[in-house]
Amino acid sequence: MRCDRARELVGAYVDGELKDDDCATVAAHIESCAVCRELMDDIRRTSKAIAELGREPAPATLASAIYGRLAGAADEEVAKRLVPWRVPSKVWRQAAALAACCALSVILTWWVMTSMGQAGRLEQQIVAAHIRSLLQDSPIQVASSDSHTVKPWFAGRVDFAPEVRDLTAEGFPLLGGRLDYVHDRRVGALVYKRRLHIVNVFMWRAPGSEDVAPTLATKNGYNLLTWTRSGVTYWAVSDLDASELKRLQGLL
Amino acid sequence: MSELSKFERLTRPHLNAAFNLAFWLVRSAPDAEDIVQESYMRAFRAFQGFTGPDAKPWLLAIVRNATYRWLSNRRRAANVISLDEAFSGPGEKAAEAQFASEDPTPEAHLIGEVDRNLVRRALAELAPVFREVVVLREIEGLAYRDISRVTGAPIGTVMSRLARGRRELRKTLCRLLDEDEPNAL
Repeated sequence: MRCDRARELVGAYVDGELKDDDCATVAAHIESCAVCRELMDDIRRTSKAIAELGREPAPATLASAIYGRLAGAADEEVAKRLVPWRVPSKVWRQAAALAACCALSVILTWWVMTSMGQAGRLEQQIVAAHIRSLLQDSPIQVASSDSHTVKPWFAGRVDFAPEVRDLTAEGFPLLGGRLDYVHDRRVGALVYKRRLHIVNVFMWRAPGSEDVAPTLATKNGYNLLTWTRSGVTYWAVSDLDASELKRLQGLL
Repeated sequence: MSELSKFERLTRPHLNAAFNLAFWLVRSAPDAEDIVQESYMRAFRAFQGFTGPDAKPWLLAIVRNATYRWLSNRRRAANVISLDEAFSGPGEKAAEAQFASEDPTPEAHLIGEVDRNLVRRALAELAPVFREVVVLREIEGLAYRDISRVTGAPIGTVMSRLARGRRELRKTLCRLLDEDEPNAL
């Protein structure tokens, strides 16, 4: 091995970082070369001097500063974890959203069911009252085609003055009036006839209600038409077909 | 055992090494303290990802990165040229090219009387790129493989930088010895 090559490797040789073959070659060279042996000794002495004198010792306070700061930071982490509302995890947020959806769904379902149930129950009562009136010998208590007889009859029997019109000219002769009990209250009923069909028009006071345009419903084969006008709610029910029932509504 | 006490058990023995490396790169004890604190915070945050058996090279690599980040920040903030750069002379490539044409005669025989002050002045005169490998090898006793892990340089580069750094250091030591004791020889 040439000296210049050996001088490159002698440091690594001293450090024990040479591969076996390089190591053996350098060892052999140093054995035979006084100059390189000198260099090796120099490197060793310098290494020793630097190792012994070069170190800058860390200040005594550094360790406590570092690990104290880390412990403080770790405590803050723990404190954050102990107050889950401050940092709601993703799972908690999702669970809350799901619970809110469930609650909303329950409330909506309940609301729709009960409001639909009420409407359906009222229709059922109207139809029942109508059928009940047909089961009697007569559907009327005051028989008169004269509106001036029927209207005063209602005075003192219901809490409002119903509009009573005789519609014989229009093909809806007025048979008379009657009291009935629908929707948990006493209501007035006007009975009209159309050919062989009987039409019951139930009326009750609906204070504070807006006027409502006629809406048609069908229950058990009967047509029902309801509307509200001037604070009075009307339900017309009959086995008449819907268009004729609507015509009657227009005349009333 | 908590994560923090595990971290402390693994890193506390290397605190002197961490401080020493940072000190020799910035050559200011207060700055080195700040850098080491910052490095340990970073190391703790990255601790989950640490799986190796030997924490020293891992930790020193973090310290070295933090130091160079700190140096470049300071340089940018102060808008000044660092003395290290101004006096490092020819770049590393030129330095390595010079290596083969070295005078075969040993510079001088170093005697046991080099004192602490001389060693530190000689180390300070080394260009940083050589100083860091010399510090890691001579003071910290790291194997070449570990120096390579800390500095990110290949082992061959570590070996040549170390040879060059040692040679520079010997030259400087001889010169300083001559200056200090002109009558000694």
